[in-house]
Amino acid sequence: MSWFNLLKANLRKEYLEMKRYLPNTIAMVLTFYILFIGMFFGIQIIGDPTTQDINIQFTIVNYIFWFFAMMTVNAIGWQITNEAMRGTLEQLSMSPMGIWKIMLMRLIASTVINFIMIIALLYLSMFTSGQWLNIDVGTILPILILTIISMFGLGFIIAGLSIILKQVQAFLQILQFILAGLTFVPLSVAPFLAFFPFVKGVDLVRAVMIEGVTFTQIPMVDFLILGFNAIFYFVIGLLFFFYCERFAMNKGLLAHY
Amino acid sequence: MEPVIEVKSLRKTYKKRKTKELIQAVSDVTFSVNRGEIVGLLGPNGAGKTTTIKMICGLLIPDSGTITINGQNNQKKRLKSLRHISAVLEGNRNLYWRLTVRENLEYFAGNRGESKKDVANRIDELLVKFHLKDKEKELVNRLSRGMQQKLAIAVAMLAESDVILLDEPTLGLDVETGYEVRELLREIVQEYDRTIIISTHDMDVVQDLCDRTIIVNKGKIVTDDKVENLLRLFEVRSYTISLSALLSEKQQILLDQKFPDYKYTPDTIGSKLEIDLAKSEEIYDLFDILKMNMTPVESIDRGTINFEQIFMKIVKGEQQNVLVQSS
Ligand SMILES: Nc1ncnc2c1ncn2[C@@H]1O[C@H](COP(=O)(O)OP(=O)(O)OP(=O)(O)O)[C@@H](O)[C@H]1O
Ligand SMILES: [Mg+2]
Repeated sequence: MSWFNLLKANLRKEYLEMKRYLPNTIAMVLTFYILFIGMFFGIQIIGDPTTQDINIQFTIVNYIFWFFAMMTVNAIGWQITNEAMRGTLEQLSMSPMGIWKIMLMRLIASTVINFIMIIALLYLSMFTSGQWLNIDVGTILPILILTIISMFGLGFIIAGLSIILKQVQAFLQILQFILAGLTFVPLSVAPFLAFFPFVKGVDLVRAVMIEGVTFTQIPMVDFLILGFNAIFYFVIGLLFFFYCERFAMNKGLLAHY
Repeated sequence: MEPVIEVKSLRKTYKKRKTKELIQAVSDVTFSVNRGEIVGLLGPNGAGKTTTIKMICGLLIPDSGTITINGQNNQKKRLKSLRHISAVLEGNRNLYWRLTVRENLEYFAGNRGESKKDVANRIDELLVKFHLKDKEKELVNRLSRGMQQKLAIAVAMLAESDVILLDEPTLGLDVETGYEVRELLREIVQEYDRTIIISTHDMDVVQDLCDRTIIVNKGKIVTDDKVENLLRLFEVRSYTISLSALLSEKQQILLDQKFPDYKYTPDTIGSKLEIDLAKSEEIYDLFDILKMNMTPVESIDRGTINFEQIFMKIVKGEQQNVLVQSS
């Protein structure tokens, strides 16, 4: 029950803050859209006409995924940096639930809320470009859930780093590009990337949405890799977060003021 | 009386990030706090008050020493012991500025695992008590500093923990708001039977609210005693003597040797002598000096002393030799 209350409280907070920062949210969506339009016309003008449709479809999926990863993984870093300066991080750290649970609920809450925005952006992009992708919910959902779990692992790593590093902002800027790399690079180019967080997931989502692959066509081993990545990154992320929490409690870093 | 908090041989050293210089913030601090007690933690800037409080709150791991909260070691049973504790640290900043008063209370309760419904009545009660009811829908960044501070205390109260730690609750508040917060704390103490530890530079807080005070300096406890005992202790030893004559030069030199802090105010018809005795027997030395010239004594009065003066004396170490317990 207390877990559920924790989730509800964090969902509500994410929602309220998004609403109160509405101009920010709108600006973010607009930036996304303008960049997308730019890419869309770019491909139409300089791209090879024979592969144009595929290119645009790739762009939509990659770009949406990148945006999604950034909103979840990067956002938790910014949030923690802010809260350490405000002093609220110390308040959270005093919760008898344990701060990692609060962080997990934050990640889930922001994923849920961002997801709604992502769906809207996806349809907006498809509408603008006239490229309708294959939205096979039954196939995409399991892939997505496993991928998101590995993304949470990465989120925990970023959260941990944000607690112990005072100048994490620069790193967060770079992280955007790392995330872009992970979402944009096709697996066929670098197969070993399958074991990087969410690269395999994006690859499979592309296969479903662009090539129309169905659930039964996806080899078992792909799901095993996804499952392995999910557990691996989540556990590693959590352990790293615990380590950072302890480090911060030793050095008095839970407040950055 | 059973202790709620027991702190034993606490020690904490920080390493400065840039210079790698070591700072011993707390060295060998031991004390315990009984249920229902209100303890003032006093000390000059950098004495180690905040560091001590954060270690009790489980936000900082001590280098050595133990903290027991309701019988639970706060290192080994960190989360369990946190159930008995809530705190307001660093003034009004530990709130969400984009959430309203009520949303803040609800969010913090949620993070302790309680639902909005569970706490609705308690929140109403607190809002009334803290005179924040008409502001419940106001965003926190629109509140005055005093109101933010009251809200932060309300958040700590909402947790219904046995112990509340307050780090400088009246810091940066104007006289009136400071008074209001003090009154509020007093009501809390009377009505809710919580154990409270307050770190403060505000002597009114100590004199008005605290049963006991622990004075720290340079990471060490220099005094741990009941506020009234300290007041009495210092009152007993502080005298104002009116003389109907002036003191001779020789008398003044002798006084200076014996009581370096004495204050002498000659007047047209007589003079006044203010003196603090380290031990009550020293009054005879004073009489001996007066007797030399048979200086006529008009009256001897106990000096009045407020807590601020006591604090200054203790911290300056002027009274080092008498700092052993008065009782
Ligand atoms: N995170 C930290 N890193 C390094 N040094 C620190 C840190 N926190 C506190 N200190 C140092 O430790 C000493 C004790 O600080 P502390 O904040 O406990 O004092 P305080 O009694 O609360 O003082 P104040 O009355 O100014 O609040 C000070 O010298 C301070 O500079
Ligand atoms: Mg302090």
